[in-house]
Amino acid sequence: MKNMKKLLSVATLSLTFSANELTAQYAGIAGYVAPARPGIPAAIAPPQNFANSTEHYEYLRELHNGGVIHTHNSIPKWDGLWGRAGNSYNTGRESTIFRNEDGNIVEGMLTPEYEAAFRYRLRQSGLDSSDNGVTVDRLTHCEPAGHPRWSLEPYIREMVNEPHQSWFMNDLGNDTRRIYINQEHQNLEGNHFPQGDSVGFWTEDDQLIVHTVDVWPMDFFRGSPPTSNQFESVEIFWRGTLENGEDRLFLSSTFYDTHMLAKPVSLMYVFERREDLEEFGYRTRYFECSGNQNQYITFDENGNPTTQTRLPGEEGFNDPRGVDPLRTPDLPRDLPGQEKNPIFNDSLF
Amino acid sequence: MKFNRLLSLIAILLSSSFVSNSYAHHSFAMFDKTQELFMSGTVTRWGFNAPHVFLFLETEDGTVWTFEGRAPQSLLMSQENPMTGYTLEPGQSVEVVICPLADGRPGGALGYIHANDIWYRPGHGGCPADSRWEDEWSAAGYASRAEAEAAM
Repeated sequence: MKNMKKLLSVATLSLTFSANELTAQYAGIAGYVAPARPGIPAAIAPPQNFANSTEHYEYLRELHNGGVIHTHNSIPKWDGLWGRAGNSYNTGRESTIFRNEDGNIVEGMLTPEYEAAFRYRLRQSGLDSSDNGVTVDRLTHCEPAGHPRWSLEPYIREMVNEPHQSWFMNDLGNDTRRIYINQEHQNLEGNHFPQGDSVGFWTEDDQLIVHTVDVWPMDFFRGSPPTSNQFESVEIFWRGTLENGEDRLFLSSTFYDTHMLAKPVSLMYVFERREDLEEFGYRTRYFECSGNQNQYITFDENGNPTTQTRLPGEEGFNDPRGVDPLRTPDLPRDLPGQEKNPIFNDSLF
Repeated sequence: MKFNRLLSLIAILLSSSFVSNSYAHHSFAMFDKTQELFMSGTVTRWGFNAPHVFLFLETEDGTVWTFEGRAPQSLLMSQENPMTGYTLEPGQSVEVVICPLADGRPGGALGYIHANDIWYRPGHGGCPADSRWEDEWSAAGYASRAEAEAAM
């Protein structure tokens, strides 16, 4: 009991310290709010300048009297397949909110340390000098996209809302966001996670407001500045229509990161219903990656990181369709019926 | 002719914008995007597996080439000429436009696959192949982009 009290007081102290640090960081600082573009509404600006994501979320929760309690029948339904239909992270053909079309870093968005780190990444990955694209990507080793990259990846999503949880699934990398409705944050593991820990509530007008903390250091996409392990967000999801009546899911996200961002950043992501794919028979499958992966990160002759690919017959080549002797080393090598993909007779070896 | 050039330019611009957020989870540094090679051969495998599809193609000299394309999900999602695991079969003769591996090994990134009288575009940012391959360049029998541009 004594130990538990001690543990709680240490935890409280550490939370207080952390909150004070955050307050000093963003108090009174106006954030960046992405403007509207054709087909992409402006991001929703925070109603005031919050010191951190928790203040922002708690303000909204109080504003909405704690949120609506839904039943299975009353919960908004966002069934079906959803494809990406625009975002305000990309500001042009080759530019983002962090990097201009001419390749220069946008001033005032990043902290000095993370701006320097972004410059380092651009140099290391060849983006400052080459038009051949980025040379490395965190996902090469089959990591999930995670938060916030989940929102930008151009893959299919499925959004399932239940009264106590929402499950937002991305076809890339088995990457599911779980939003715990009308609940408090939990972190029994004492870890951070690719998607962090998300809680949320529903408003009277069917918006889902989500607070996310405890996220791994990630990115917005390959070649973006890194996010840190202090990255947090307040997100507002809702289903609506464009001016032309087309059905859309909208997501307005405000990001806080005391290491990375010089000010909070609010962006809009838009998703469109893909009924054509539903009619075509498209299914979301388990995303095979590590067992099939033949790309790997290595270093070039100058010691810079780069990416390479293994071909059949080379050491370490993963064959996604044949019988992998390392997958079931406890079985006879010639046991019939062990090929993972038996429809075609296309064994390479 | 001018109209065709305009279409090519639009296609290049579109494919360039695709590069920024394309359906891949790794860099394209290993491919030489400045080269585009036209090849023909026999399919030994159309591997429609995540995270990327792979076409294994045996050419006349007996070499088996390994070509990478986009994620299978994105080929199913294509609004123009979607591809499935059944689009190509072992033993089928096809033509391809590819960007080779920069280190000279027999592999590369897919730009086009010409099969079943259709020009499929299974490529990612590793090979934004020129749209003129669909008509004038393939009809003229050019073996590479360099050869086609030299003849213009």
